Amino acid sequence: MEEMLESNEMIVHLGPQHPMQPGPFRLNLRLKGETVMDAEVELGYIHKGIEKILENKTYLQGITIVDRICYLVALTNEECFVGCVEKLLGIEPPARSQYIRVILEELSRLQSHLLGMGEFGEFIGFVSMFMYTIKEREDILTLIDMVTGARVTHSYLKFGGVRDDLPAGFKEKALPVLNNLKKVISDYEEMFQSDRIYRERTEGVGILTADVAKSLGVSGPALRATGVPFDIRKNEPYLVYEDLDFKVCTETAGDCAARVRVRLNEMRESIYILEQCLDQIPNGPLFPEGTPYGRRTPVMRVPAGEVFHRVEDPRGEMGMYMISDGTDKPYRVKVRGPYFPTLQALPPLIIGTTVADVAAISGSMDGCTSEADR
Amino acid sequence: MDAKTIIESLTGKFPEAISETGIESPIRIRAYVDKEKAKEVCQYLKDSLQFDHLCSVCGVDYPQRNELESVYHIASYDHPVVLMLKVRLPRDAPEIESIVPVYWNANWYERETYELYGIVFKNHPNLKTLVLPEEMLGEWPLRKDYEGFPNKTARNLV
Repeated sequence: MEEMLESNEMIVHLGPQHPMQPGPFRLNLRLKGETVMDAEVELGYIHKGIEKILENKTYLQGITIVDRICYLVALTNEECFVGCVEKLLGIEPPARSQYIRVILEELSRLQSHLLGMGEFGEFIGFVSMFMYTIKEREDILTLIDMVTGARVTHSYLKFGGVRDDLPAGFKEKALPVLNNLKKVISDYEEMFQSDRIYRERTEGVGILTADVAKSLGVSGPALRATGVPFDIRKNEPYLVYEDLDFKVCTETAGDCAARVRVRLNEMRESIYILEQCLDQIPNGPLFPEGTPYGRRTPVMRVPAGEVFHRVEDPRGEMGMYMISDGTDKPYRVKVRGPYFPTLQALPPLIIGTTVADVAAISGSMDGCTSEADR
Repeated sequence: MDAKTIIESLTGKFPEAISETGIESPIRIRAYVDKEKAKEVCQYLKDSLQFDHLCSVCGVDYPQRNELESVYHIASYDHPVVLMLKVRLPRDAPEIESIVPVYWNANWYERETYELYGIVFKNHPNLKTLVLPEEMLGEWPLRKDYEGFPNKTARNLV
C-alpha cells in the first residue's frame, strides 16, 4: 500500500486494538484528505488454531472448544458442532431437548444483538445506548445462566440432547424479562428515530446492494438489510424451527440504519419464538430412549463419514464441515464462520467513504473478529 | 431446483471431469472434479444452476493416499441444495486454478487454505498469508504431519 502513496495521501492504521472494533485486527486506510482511497484488512492477531485443536480432542471435548470461537454465540456454535456429530451418528434429539435448544439459542441471539447494538451506538458517539443495552443483556444472561450454569461459555449441549432440564419456574422468570424487552425495543426504536445525529450518521451510509452482498458472500442481518430473505432457520430448518411461527426480517435500504433495524425486528421475532416455545414445550426425555446417549455420554467413536451442517448464527450462516474416520476424534473440522466473508467485504464497502463513516459501517456489521480469525 | 436435476446437469455438461457423484439427502450433494476443470465447473454452477453462494473453501490432508483435497461448499441464495465439490491434488505439488474470478469471496478462503495446507491457487490476486505470521509459511500447520503441535493430547481416552 505504501508504494502507491501520492504526496497528498497518508496511511492510517486502525487497530490492532481500536475502540471502533471489538477484537484485534488492523485496518489500513489510504486517505486523501478525509476520503478513504483504499483499505486493507490484516487478520491474525487472535488465531487460536481452533480447527487444529478440534482434530486432537475427542468429540465431547470439542464442545468446550467450539464455545471459544466467539463468546457471544457459544450456544449456536455448539449447535452446529453437535448437529454435525448427530448427523454422523444418525440420531435426533427428542422434542423436549430440541425446544430447550431453541430457547437457549434465541436467548443467545437476543443478548448478541443487544450487545452489538450497544457497541454500534458507542462507535458513532451514542454512548448511552451501550449502557441501556448492556443492562437488558444482563437480564438475558441471567436467564441463560439459570439453565446452563454459565454466562459466556456453556458446554451445555450434548450429543442427542442437552445436559440438564430447564429449572423449575423458568417460564415464570423468563416471561417478565421478555415483556420488558419488548417495551424496551420500542424505546430504542423511538430513540433512534428521534435522534437527528444518529440518523444522519447512519442513513444512506455504507449502502450494500443485494447483488453486491450476494457476490461478497455476506449472510445474516447484513444481507437481510439489502432485501434478501435468506435465513437458515427458514431455508434449511433444523431443530423445531419448522413448527414455529416467525418471519424473516428484511429491509431494502442496505445502509447502516437498515442493518440496525433488521436486528431490532429480529429481536422481536426471537421474543415471539421464545413465547411459543415456552408455551408449547412438551414433556418427555432429554435423550433418545434406548440409546447410550445421556447423562453419562460414553467416550464414543463416530461412524466414518462426512457432513456439512449449518445453522443461523446472530451474524449469519455458521457452517461446519466435519470428516470422521471412525475414531473418537474428528479427522477434520472446517469452521465456516459468518463474519469471515462479511469482514472480507469491509474494504470494498468503505472505499470512497469518509474516515468518520468507517466506524459506523464497520460497527453496523456487528463483527466478531475472534470468530473470523479462529 | 432439486438435487437430481443438478447432478444430471453437471454430469451431462462435464461427463469427463465430474466423477463419484452422490446424493446424501435432498439438500446435500457431492461430486469430485478434475483439477483442470474446477474453475470452469464453478462458473457453470454459478451461471446456470443458481449456485451463487460460496460457503467455504478448505483443504483436507490424506497422507496415506499422498493426496490433498481442496473442498468447495457451494450453495445458493435461492434453493436449499449445497454441493460439496472436491478436487484431488498430489501432496508434493498441490496446485489448482483460483476461483476468485468466479466467486469473489474465495479470496480469503484460498489464502487461508494456502498457508495452512500449502495448496497453491494459481492466478490468485494476492496469495499471501492471512492469519499466520509470514515466517510460518512452508510449515503447513493443518497437514497431519505438522510437528509443531502436541498431537498426543487426549489420545488415551478411549
